[in-house]
Amino acid sequence: MPPSSPDHPAQPMKPSYLKWLLGQGSRQGLWSLPLFIALAIALGLSLTTQQFTSTGNLFNLITQAMPLIITAIGQMFVILIGGLDLSVGSVISLSTAILALGGPAYVLIPAVFLLAALIGAVNGLVVTRLNVHPIIATLSMQYIVLGVTRILRPVSGGTVPDIVIASVSGTLLGIPLPVFWGIAVLLLSWKLLHGARFGLHLFAIGGGIASGMEKVAHNFGVAERRNILLAYVTCSCFAALAGVFLAGRIVSGDPNVGLLFELDAITAVAIGGTQLSGGVGSLHGTVIGALVMALLANGMNLTNMSPFIQTTVKGAILLLVVGLQSRKKMGL
Amino acid sequence: MILADKTWQRLRRIPPSYLVFAALLLTLWVLRPHMMNPNILGIFIRQIVPLGILVLGQLLVMRVRSIDLSGGGVILLINYYISSGLFPGASMMTFVAMAIATGLVIGTFNGVMIAKRRVSAVIVTLAVSIVLVGFVQYLSSGKPPGDVPAMFAALYNTKLLGIPTPVLLWIVLTLLMSLFLARTVFGRAVASVGENLSAAHFSGVAVERTVIVAHILAGLMAALAALVQTASIAVGSVRVGLDLPILAVAATILGGVVFGRGEGGVWGPFFGVLSFALLFILMTTLGVDEPGKLIIQGFIILLAAIFYGVRSAKP
Repeated sequence: MPPSSPDHPAQPMKPSYLKWLLGQGSRQGLWSLPLFIALAIALGLSLTTQQFTSTGNLFNLITQAMPLIITAIGQMFVILIGGLDLSVGSVISLSTAILALGGPAYVLIPAVFLLAALIGAVNGLVVTRLNVHPIIATLSMQYIVLGVTRILRPVSGGTVPDIVIASVSGTLLGIPLPVFWGIAVLLLSWKLLHGARFGLHLFAIGGGIASGMEKVAHNFGVAERRNILLAYVTCSCFAALAGVFLAGRIVSGDPNVGLLFELDAITAVAIGGTQLSGGVGSLHGTVIGALVMALLANGMNLTNMSPFIQTTVKGAILLLVVGLQSRKKMGL
Repeated sequence: MILADKTWQRLRRIPPSYLVFAALLLTLWVLRPHMMNPNILGIFIRQIVPLGILVLGQLLVMRVRSIDLSGGGVILLINYYISSGLFPGASMMTFVAMAIATGLVIGTFNGVMIAKRRVSAVIVTLAVSIVLVGFVQYLSSGKPPGDVPAMFAALYNTKLLGIPTPVLLWIVLTLLMSLFLARTVFGRAVASVGENLSAAHFSGVAVERTVIVAHILAGLMAALAALVQTASIAVGSVRVGLDLPILAVAATILGGVVFGRGEGGVWGPFFGVLSFALLFILMTTLGVDEPGKLIIQGFIILLAAIFYGVRSAKP
């Protein structure tokens, strides 16, 4: 056996079923445990409360979870390449603020996504061309975007275009529209991650970075810088989409609606088994992670528990899930 | 080529915080000369001491390629102990001992999870902060707890040798940290782990122990920062100090300490914190509003990081 080193700690042999359960040696990471946690919470709630299984509550759950699901999926693209985007919360707030500026929807909605793409592109350029650490690059972007948002809209107010409100609150064939939002987002992100080279390249880049061989994907012909840049653009655009959804729900612009959303998104991604060192993670894991958090929030509401204990439980689940995953890299 | 020039190379080794600090001081002196009064500046600088102490821990963990975002939770918890009246009749020394014990326990937990379990430092310390914040909010039901014992505020307002006591504490701690990093074996271990983890391991540096000790010290610094912060606001709060860890990361980077690299030493980040203090004074006296402050702050962090990032690209 080779000697243990910081990069290659000696690890006891584990039976293969345990390895599968813990997501070891898999590119998808540990997603079975979060799924189990989500199912356990759902089962517990359906046994202890009457309302949980009602159609109204389930649709409500989907609506509540949607902004987090969308943001977390976007965040996952960046985390897969070993990055991090702390500016998504500000981008969400900015999107609601722009939608509430007043004006025709066909101008405002493209403006939201163009601006988000621009923010993502600047993040990506600063990270890839100027070699700034992603945490720092996106943190400064968070401040700048939040500042601009507060200039546009110091306090919440204004009204968003009717079509945005209708797209969130309406129903189609008796099914609330957020369900269709969910399906569309899942299809789009599945296409990006598994139906295009983009996703494969992200896994290649992230895997190289996680194992300390930064240039390996580049040497195999992957355009590293371009794909990293596109990952940040994707992340920002998903955040803008979440902003549009939220604007439709709160019917106005709010400079604080996205506050600390980046931390929730990172938490959801991490609960879903995606590793922050890059290269390991999955779309279904991320959705499960976001659902665990939404179920916790929903359950606390239904059982009238203190909303504050929910924060503690969220943190404890995060510690449990990441504590069970093993990785080689030490540090960030 | 100008980039290859010796003088230019030497200039670029100066942490950005020195330049930013000098520029801000000059601007203040030109635009608002009456603010250049040691007493006025002392009051402002006193307010930033908790951040300054937190930065001492942050720079240590960032030099071993880690990060500590749990400071906000630690500050909140210690503030809660002291202000909630849960421990009636406890003396000030008891509170200080409790705070230090809390910091050490949380630092040890962070360190072991990061170095032994190899969990992402961002996630562990974030999760610890989430757990602590939730716990305090649960205990207090989201309402601010009571008042802080008067002794804390009294001590906070004293002056020694003409310098406000909290500022003096900060300077002494910074001196100690600088000596600790420069003169001890541990300081060398920190530098070598930051430089190259594997090389440090194969050269006989106890990598895991170094990372754990760095996190324990960061926990201790968070506890001291919590004591000063609690004394400064003199009341309990359920929101105090939550944005401090991220600001500490920013100030550390402004001071020329980036993940794994520590050219800025201890004084670079020290002036990074002072630059933040000056920036707030300057923007407040010039009447820059809240959004403007955020934007300027973002740009300064970004420019400092670009300055360092570009430098690291070519050896």
